[in-house]
Amino acid sequence: MLIKVPSVANLGLETIKVDVEVNLAGRGLPGFEIVGLPDKAVDESKERVRAAISSSGIDFPAKKITINLAPADIPKEGSLYDLPIAVGILSSVLQFSLPEKSLFLGELSLDGSLRHTKGALLMALFAREFGFLNLFVPKDSANEAAAIKGAKVFPVENLIQLSSYFLKRKNIEPVVYKEISDRFLPLAEFDMREVLGQEQAKRAMEIAAAGGHNIIMVGSPGSGKTMLARALPGILPPLNETESLEVTKIYSAAGNIPPGGSLITHRQFRAPHHSASLVGLIGGGARPHPGEISLAHRGVLFLDEFNEFPRQVMEAMRQPLEDGYLTISRSKQRRMYPADFMLVASANPCPCGYLNHPKKNCVCTQHQIRKYQKRISGPILDRIDLHIAIQPVDTTEFSDNQRNSELLESSKVIKQRVVLARQKQEKRFEKESIHSNAQMKNTHIKNYCKLTKDIEELLHRASIKFQLSARSYMKTIKVARTIADLEGAEEITISHMAEALQYKPKIYESV
Amino acid sequence: MAQVIEIEAQEYPKLLKEIGSQAPKRLYYKGDWNEVLFEDCLAVVGSRHLTSYGRKITEQLVTEIAASGITIVSGFMYGGDEAAHRAAVRTGGRTIAVMPCGINIIHPAEQKELYNEILKNKGLIISEFGGKFLPANWTYVKRNRIVAGLSKAILIVEAGLNSGSLITAGYAKKYGRKIFAVPGQITSEVSKGTVKLIKEGAEVATEARDILKYYNISLANLRNTGSYAKPSLNIGKEEQEIINQLKREPMEADILARALGISVAKIGTTLSLMQLKGFINQESGKYYVD
Repeated sequence: MLIKVPSVANLGLETIKVDVEVNLAGRGLPGFEIVGLPDKAVDESKERVRAAISSSGIDFPAKKITINLAPADIPKEGSLYDLPIAVGILSSVLQFSLPEKSLFLGELSLDGSLRHTKGALLMALFAREFGFLNLFVPKDSANEAAAIKGAKVFPVENLIQLSSYFLKRKNIEPVVYKEISDRFLPLAEFDMREVLGQEQAKRAMEIAAAGGHNIIMVGSPGSGKTMLARALPGILPPLNETESLEVTKIYSAAGNIPPGGSLITHRQFRAPHHSASLVGLIGGGARPHPGEISLAHRGVLFLDEFNEFPRQVMEAMRQPLEDGYLTISRSKQRRMYPADFMLVASANPCPCGYLNHPKKNCVCTQHQIRKYQKRISGPILDRIDLHIAIQPVDTTEFSDNQRNSELLESSKVIKQRVVLARQKQEKRFEKESIHSNAQMKNTHIKNYCKLTKDIEELLHRASIKFQLSARSYMKTIKVARTIADLEGAEEITISHMAEALQYKPKIYESV
Repeated sequence: MAQVIEIEAQEYPKLLKEIGSQAPKRLYYKGDWNEVLFEDCLAVVGSRHLTSYGRKITEQLVTEIAASGITIVSGFMYGGDEAAHRAAVRTGGRTIAVMPCGINIIHPAEQKELYNEILKNKGLIISEFGGKFLPANWTYVKRNRIVAGLSKAILIVEAGLNSGSLITAGYAKKYGRKIFAVPGQITSEVSKGTVKLIKEGAEVATEARDILKYYNISLANLRNTGSYAKPSLNIGKEEQEIINQLKREPMEADILARALGISVAKIGTTLSLMQLKGFINQESGKYYVD
């Protein structure tokens, strides 16, 4: 007897349909075989399915069982085929038929219950596109799949419950999408008001958050670079609908959505350590997985101690920084992962860290400093819009008012400005493929950043005086556009441009 | 091509010979050997980590001193030495660079362009080491004795404790040369050495005439140091306030904003514009008035 149970395979962010064909042959020695290029996790499914069915109080059929995952030439990976395989066997044993236009996905536990499985959202998207009506997924993954309107999502708790449903003895209520916001709020460890002093750095953070600009902070140890970066999530604008879906897709594919989780509505903050490997950061592997830069898509990638990252890793980020996506090519597969992130980097000015420190003495030679600073290549620095020098703050010199964090602007207030500025940008780029000022290419700049004669002259003088490269010139205009947006101004004025010039490269000179 | 002067030669600098057994047996040199160069020498040395204050003072003093015909001797290291050579070359004055390495290498190599300018300006590059002898910790110290030995007086702009500049000052004292030191903030690491020298009896130098007096140079045809102040152009009220603050000490934008009670966004705008107008300059995050 042959039964076909439809399921899917997620190849990166792409989804294809997989038919799980279950054949129970009455003749031949009892056995259990899976074919169709299964990986180790799929192959081990045999043991899970056998135990789960027995635990559910159903005799495992003593027949020759053959499972074929079609199409047979595409490698299958993961534990999601446990449920379709078990359903196929049960339908033969218990004699029930499967509803039309259904898809199954889920990992079994030995006791017959279902566990949270990655990729539910991708399957739901596939279902919507190809007109599938019923999705059977583990209960913990149901809310994730339900985020996509269209098919009915049935939360499956265990095999007994599911069999009763198919035998029409019990009903399973399809889940309704429930927004779970607070659980995935990337916790800002600090409020901006807790950062005393550093007014210019905070201002730069606000501009960066509003326009999605890359930013580098250079300063001595203990000057507050990391604290500023950790406070950044608190002022980031929320994701819009399309962005939210893009990010959730990546997280679903990587299996990074927690049980019961669903759409990610907040910008993610990723802070990999500098010992991270190239593959870990960029993505890759024999079956290419998304790396940290893709997990930071539409969010923030914070690289602390930027010069300590291996050169190879830094250079590999050049293409995604420019294009916003990354193609990982392997001999058998090629996968494209989006990686449009905001880079926040922090670095020391020299190996000992105390160059230009007001109190401590730097013990590095010029040669050491130059060598250290050169670890960050010119092309990378050139792609960073805001450069900020951070000096340690001596709070003993503050007045009581300046020291009282209650009187300082909170992240909440700054965020309001950021959100308004971002809304202006989204409206501006409605008909374009970009979302923020930082993504503007030269043609966008020409269209959306009209400069008066005066401003052009100012910028021209500045480019001579400060020796700005052609790219820096364009970066300054982009930053000025964001400053104008923060102020709610339609046109860029001289003062916007002059402020933008404050964030030109300082200690680390770009080549 | 490098040339050599032996200690027995007529042209060997007299002042250097006076240091007796420590005088180098031979001097390798590049450029045109002209005895006039050695008549009135002033050694100018300073920290490798020169602050913007130190650089400004070096430029101010050396420009005037070199313009009045005194040869500026220094060690060609980056920081204080480099600032002194550069100021001398810029004003068309004479300068001698004493290298810590073989005459045929440029050290530090990054300053090649300054090296060529010194030669173009009829200056001299000298060393007691020939060929491509590499610099080492001990050669810097040996070099310093030549810097001190060639000069009637020595000016120390900024120096930390335990610095090479203090070693040079030590030699100068031993050889009986006059020592001038520029006072700085006593909290600054690179002013601790100069403060120490002043305590020990070095003369305080705050303007070029302090030093020129020692060389008996008539002050009549010298420019008044006051003429360095920039003529005030159209300066707004806020800009004037910023300049007043910066005249006291170089500051970062944050500190200025706090002192004047202006938002940092606003002050950033003003600072950029002032920089473009040439009122102020910026170095390593701090703004200062020329």
